Amino acid sequence: MVVLSAARWLRSRLTDRFWRVQEVLKYARHFRGRKNRCYRLAVRSVRRAFVRSTKARREKKRFLRALWITRIEAASLEHGLKYPAFISNLSKSQVELNRKVLADLAIYEPKTFKSLAALAQRRRQEGFLAALGDGKEPEGIFSRIVHQHY
Amino acid sequence: RYVRQLQRLQLLFSPTAADARGARQFVEEAAQDFARQHPDVVLYVSPHSGPGPAPVLRAEYLNGTVREELIASRTSEEILQLATKLANQSGLDIIRIRKPFHTDNPSVQGQWHPLTNKPSILTVQGPRLQPQ
Repeated sequence: MVVLSAARWLRSRLTDRFWRVQEVLKYARHFRGRKNRCYRLAVRSVRRAFVRSTKARREKKRFLRALWITRIEAASLEHGLKYPAFISNLSKSQVELNRKVLADLAIYEPKTFKSLAALAQRRRQEGFLAALGDGKEPEGIFSRIVHQHY
Repeated sequence: RYVRQLQRLQLLFSPTAADARGARQFVEEAAQDFARQHPDVVLYVSPHSGPGPAPVLRAEYLNGTVREELIASRTSEEILQLATKLANQSGLDIIRIRKPFHTDNPSVQGQWHPLTNKPSILTVQGPRLQPQ
């Protein structure tokens, strides 16, 4: 007999429900409670987790910067300088190091950080002399600005 | 000098299955040219007769990773593109790299510990003085 179309009582079944569910559950495996097993609860938790992770990318930058500042403050206090004095004098001496690099130097290269703290301290003293002293025009070695011509 | 990380490519397909048509065309037309252009990759063509598993292109790398790509219902050009892509890869697993940098020696001057900036009286033990 010639069959031109499938019989009307043939209906298609959903066969890959398992894999569709696993796609969501694989992101929930490390959660706590029933949200790591039950699909209905996992869908909501996974969606909230993704939303939170996208929003946290902006917070991460702030958090890391605060961490670096804390570390630089601790390291410069070991050398007798406060953080605002250290940072301001470093930038006045045209040392353009960002907080990430300064924190890494403070951890892994303590002697370099000590020399940077000494540089900032010297620049600070020269700044005080220039502001208060104003008698005999002493030479400020680290106060001179180097002009780069590109 | 550049060392290609791809060791061998195994083309497993069945000579009668319908979805291996692209694989068979690739073997007939482009496999020899591909093997000539990549002389440091060994290309194995192994047809298994009769109905068997789906046609697969297996790539083995120098660090031991084996990567299998399904070539069922693909044209010969697509299989050629796949093969060149696998040939240009290294065998490292394709996951998110956490940091784009890595050092084995992070510290040159010695890592900071709580006694680095303290006076050395606390750490150094001098010769024991004899009771006079």
